[in-house]
Amino acid sequence: MKFFDLLSMSVSNLWRRKLRTFLTVLGVVIGTASIVVMVSIGIGMNRSMMQQIDEYGGLTTINVYSGDSYYGGGMAVAVSESGSSSGSQTEPVRLNDEMLQVLSGLEHVESVTPILSVDCLAKSGKYMANLSVRGIPAELLAQMNNMEVGQGTLPMPGDKELKFFYGNTVITDFYIEKTYQYYWETGVIPEIDFMEDPMYIIFDMDAYYASQYPSGDGTVTPPPKKYMVEACGVMAGDVEYYGANSSYVFCDLELLKEQLQRVFKNKAIPGQPTTATGKPYKEIYYNQVDVKVDDMDYMKDVQTQIQNLGLSASSNAEWIESQQESSNNLQMALGGIGAVSLFVAAIGIANTMMMSIYERTKEIGIIKVLGCDMRNIRSMFLMEAGFIGFVGGTVGILLSYGISFLVNYVASGQMGMAMGTGGAAEISYIPLWMPPVAIGFAILVGMLAGFFPALRAMKLSPLAAIRNE
Amino acid sequence: MAGKEKRPIIETRKLYKVYSLGENRVFALNGVDLSIREGEFCSIVGTSGSGKSTLLNMLAGLEKPTKGEIVIGGSHIEKMTENQLVKFRRENVGFIFQSFNLLGTLNSVENVALPLTFRGVKKEIRNKKAEEMLKLVGLSKQMKNKPTQMSGGQQQRVGVARALVMDPKIIFADEPTGNLDSHTSAEVMELMRRVVKEQHKTLVMVTHDNHLAGFADRIFHIIDGKIVKIEERENYREE
Ligand SMILES: Nc1ncnc2c1ncn2[C@@H]1O[C@H](COP(=O)(O)OP(=O)(O)OP(=O)(O)O)[C@@H](O)[C@H]1O
Ligand SMILES: [Mg+2]
Repeated sequence: MKFFDLLSMSVSNLWRRKLRTFLTVLGVVIGTASIVVMVSIGIGMNRSMMQQIDEYGGLTTINVYSGDSYYGGGMAVAVSESGSSSGSQTEPVRLNDEMLQVLSGLEHVESVTPILSVDCLAKSGKYMANLSVRGIPAELLAQMNNMEVGQGTLPMPGDKELKFFYGNTVITDFYIEKTYQYYWETGVIPEIDFMEDPMYIIFDMDAYYASQYPSGDGTVTPPPKKYMVEACGVMAGDVEYYGANSSYVFCDLELLKEQLQRVFKNKAIPGQPTTATGKPYKEIYYNQVDVKVDDMDYMKDVQTQIQNLGLSASSNAEWIESQQESSNNLQMALGGIGAVSLFVAAIGIANTMMMSIYERTKEIGIIKVLGCDMRNIRSMFLMEAGFIGFVGGTVGILLSYGISFLVNYVASGQMGMAMGTGGAAEISYIPLWMPPVAIGFAILVGMLAGFFPALRAMKLSPLAAIRNE
Repeated sequence: MAGKEKRPIIETRKLYKVYSLGENRVFALNGVDLSIREGEFCSIVGTSGSGKSTLLNMLAGLEKPTKGEIVIGGSHIEKMTENQLVKFRRENVGFIFQSFNLLGTLNSVENVALPLTFRGVKKEIRNKKAEEMLKLVGLSKQMKNKPTQMSGGQQQRVGVARALVMDPKIIFADEPTGNLDSHTSAEVMELMRRVVKEQHKTLVMVTHDNHLAGFADRIFHIIDGKIVKIEERENYREE
């Protein structure tokens, strides 16, 4: 029998019983829509979670600190200090260029980004601020997430002079020098144009405070030198948008190193480790290295390897994992609720097909006597059931898009208020693979439900069927 | 007589069909041996309950015998599986029912074309063939009629056309005129006889009416599941 003939026979059989077919299809529509909507809510929540994680430092980044850091439980590996004979003195593993090489040599490590952090004071007009400056190689700055340029440019590789790139919330760190009033008290954004107004930076904060507040014995410390540092750009986003990098000032690593060495000469640079006797080391150590892993699955692995080197390492991996687990559980629960209604729809299909067989017993007998293949009879019934699934699934998907839109519309109205700019996340998200999968699934369910009725029809004895009046 | 030389197309040997109803055993067929020649019009006559329908159903492969052999065109159909039987019917057998058994949702052309659909024949071709057949049985004006829009005689003509459309070697008919008045019955019988003779088909017809049985070349008389008499009608309508 030709496929098209089979199909048109099946469809005309369904068409003959419009109302019943409609009701059965309606069951599938509701079943499909409830599964799709439930799963889409699960996916939407998962996605907004991921988006959130991404905003707070990425899914595949491990933050590495020196071994003596209090971040992440690094293993203290004993390294005896050079020249020191006493074994009691241990030296933590630190982050220098050599260590960078080691880290980038690890398997599954995509890139390593050294970060040198220093605090400094900034003065502009009547304002003053305590800035957190992060030196990162300029060529890596361009590749970082959450580094959208709002004004100007990022620090460029090949720049000759130290230039600052201000995070979008840095402006709120400035206070009026005389009154100590911050933005969060006044609600007035400091009137500083980073790109135009001159900015004076004081790196030697100790010396500055010593000059401001003389100690009791009357020794007068001269104020340290101020350096004028140009701004090359400002991050995108308003002052209320808290991205992972919003509160930092960024600059090129090498230029920062040079600057610090020039400022402090032979003195210890604040924030840098010193020898037991308080002397500075020859090289400058990094405060942090961000290791980017090529796949989330290797996060734990790489993190352990790094800790085995004697370094401290922390990442979102564990938190993400637990988040994912709970979001998976949620998805399963939601999907389960939907599955129940699809199951009910499947029973509906089976019932409809069964009724249809009772009604058509004689007809089936006749076509069997006339030489219709048993397989064709089975296919005809399976097709009818599958067709119900197909139509129900298709309409169900369309309905789901409608519901999904409504849910997001209502939710964005409410969340928009509560979450400010972050409220753009969709609660219900239907990924592109969902419609074909859902329709395929509905067809499958229909055919499964129609399978036993179809077998029954196939096995009907033609004689008994014909006698049936 | 030339007819005798023709080879048998249907043969049964020691055919038994036993129905068990609780303790009782009903011998619907009680050792039937018969041989039907190619191109012959046979009728099987007997009283009600004598086992006519049982015999016909068995010959058409709709029911399995309890014992015995049925050889049609050289193949033992009692050994076939249900699937093979369907194929066998599709290729060799046309069937005319007492109660017409047309599909109520289809019009005449579609009903006649139905067996061709099962053979995978294209729509244009099968509809053309069906129309030819309907013309042959004199229903050129009722092509688009549904069964409920036709008289019993017309419906049975559609039934005859449907049995013929596949060009089968054998046509089985179980009381084809059982639901028709005597005048219409005679008309349908004439039609069947004319068509099977023209197209050289073998027709096996069951009836309880001796007069209708008389349209056949040979008449098998069956009583209580046994063939008791075979009547030759070589000179039929030659007078
Ligand atoms: N499925 C069955 N179960 C039990 N007994 C049956 C069955 N089918 C037929 N019989 C019995 O077999 C015998 C022959 O039945 P069959 O239908 O062949 O009679 P028939 O000659 O066709 O009669 P009629 O002219 O009334 O159609 C009857 O006694 C009937 O009761
Ligand atoms: Mg009968």
